[in-house]
Amino acid sequence: MHAVLAAAQTLKAPDLDYFALAPEIVLTAVLVGILLLDVFVDETRKYLVTQVAGLGLLVSLVPVVALAANGADRSMLGGAYVVDNFALLVKALFLATGYVVLLMSSDYIGEGDYYEGEYSFLLLSSLLGMMVMGSSRDLITIFVALELLSIPAYLLAGWRKRDLRSNEACLKYYLLGVLASAVMLYGMSLIFGATGSTVLRTIGREVGGSVGEEPIVTLGIFFIVVGFAFKVSAVPFHFWAPDTYEGAPTPVTAFLSVASKAAGFVALLQLVYIGFFGREEVWGPLFWVLAALTMTVGNLVALRQTNVVRMLAYSSVAQAGYILVPFAVAGSNPAANATAQTAALVYLLIYAAMNLGAFAIVMAVARKTRSAEISSYGGLFTYAPGLTLLMSVFLFSLAGIPPLAGWFAKLYIFESALDAGTAAAVTLAVVAGLNAVIALFYYSAVAKEMWMRPVPDGDTTPIPVPPALAAALAFTAIVVVAVGVYPQAFARLGDLAQLTLR
Amino acid sequence: MSAFLRGYLSVLVFGFAAVAMVGAMLGAGRLLRPSRPQPQKYIAYESGVDPVGTGWSQSQVRYYIFALLFVMFDVEAVFIFPWAIRLEALGIFGLVEMLIFIVILALGLVYAWRKGVLRWV
Repeated sequence: MHAVLAAAQTLKAPDLDYFALAPEIVLTAVLVGILLLDVFVDETRKYLVTQVAGLGLLVSLVPVVALAANGADRSMLGGAYVVDNFALLVKALFLATGYVVLLMSSDYIGEGDYYEGEYSFLLLSSLLGMMVMGSSRDLITIFVALELLSIPAYLLAGWRKRDLRSNEACLKYYLLGVLASAVMLYGMSLIFGATGSTVLRTIGREVGGSVGEEPIVTLGIFFIVVGFAFKVSAVPFHFWAPDTYEGAPTPVTAFLSVASKAAGFVALLQLVYIGFFGREEVWGPLFWVLAALTMTVGNLVALRQTNVVRMLAYSSVAQAGYILVPFAVAGSNPAANATAQTAALVYLLIYAAMNLGAFAIVMAVARKTRSAEISSYGGLFTYAPGLTLLMSVFLFSLAGIPPLAGWFAKLYIFESALDAGTAAAVTLAVVAGLNAVIALFYYSAVAKEMWMRPVPDGDTTPIPVPPALAAALAFTAIVVVAVGVYPQAFARLGDLAQLTLR
Repeated sequence: MSAFLRGYLSVLVFGFAAVAMVGAMLGAGRLLRPSRPQPQKYIAYESGVDPVGTGWSQSQVRYYIFALLFVMFDVEAVFIFPWAIRLEALGIFGLVEMLIFIVILALGLVYAWRKGVLRWV
């Protein structure tokens, strides 16, 4: 206490740029608003909370667009908080993802027994953490953002609190999340000890210089990357993911597998491209091994799944492996750096759309069949042709079949590996190519079930799709098809949003 | 030896040192401690009181809510002290920021109150 009070003598009011903080301020105001709304409306009108939350997400998108139109890079708190094109792009991604998840979950949560108001509140808190993550260029800010986005997510995973599987999902996610945080924090303390700074830009300068040769820096980088490998569920740190994804409520699974994973990759991009850039011989091979293992194990295990949610869980592990490929090849030459960064960003954007879409279909089908077994998808075409067509679009996009968006995302990944041109990078591209072929098997197995098999129980009443879920499906499907047809738009976004290195 | 292997040698050394440290401490403990097993030592230690009944007894859950609320306002005080020392220099900005901080924390109390947590049933 005494030390804190002594240090307080030098506290100064920070220079805050309120325009740059506007998206976060609006989102915080919405959070406060929905918490108050939740405690003061009566039980029958809780749906209002979800509606205000959805509206609030759209309103916080307005300052993001305004900042993008303004175009200037803004830096605060000695470079710890930066709002540039990269930050704005990922903030828009998180807000859009949050909105789609809210659309998907409004009926699901409303029909369930539990806490409708708190659900939106926690979802938006987690999104606020992700928004902060997009701007954080400082180890402490990154850590605070990570905790802010993780802690509500732990609670969301255990939302069906009388369901044992949901409890298991929550507990596993929590324990491994905390373990990952501890490992990461240890790495951060080592990096801070070696460089004397928590600001990524300063760390980048120090690590690129003579300090980078110290073994302690290698240890620090290693622990931080391992910590984030837990977060993005890279093999061999993936074992929590399938159980958590299966046990958590399906909209929460969609949220975890898209937004939470994207936040991990955003943090990795910032750390690798700004903080650790001078030491690519440390993180390059580490990412190479993680990428190769993650793709291969994810795809091979997905082959054996009989439950759609578990299959999508392993598929999302495998997709994380593809996103790790650009990390593994970055740093070998300047041209490859730019492509690698664009490739990772573009893949994140496209992956968000196609994975959310696939989970929305799973939810729609489960409304009727109450099951997520692949066999329950038999003959879906005979009674729900629209859903079947959309599911096929999402699955083949995940598999990377042209002319859908996922094909373009994979193309960019291969381009980044070939641009790097080293033997290791080309080998990794070959591994990724083989994996794309394996992945096609299990995605098309579901498609075959839907189009060709008979209906298992002979019940062919059509599936009622509530309007909110239909809107989520339409939005994701339009993105997947439009980007596949006109990929230049997303590539341009990715190019604009380059992180400036020094 | 390539730069990569040299870099990761430190990770390996670190890993071995960590495992060796734990092994050495457990091993030293095993060598040094006397071993005199008695039946009383296998009873679960429960604040010095002999355990009565089964392990599955119910206890009041409502205490933890009060503990949480206490921690919340305790942490609030930790932030207010340094702020109070510099209040004059921080001026209106500091006042407004602290008010926002307190209001957001007080929301937690409002939430607890509306959900009926504060009633002692």
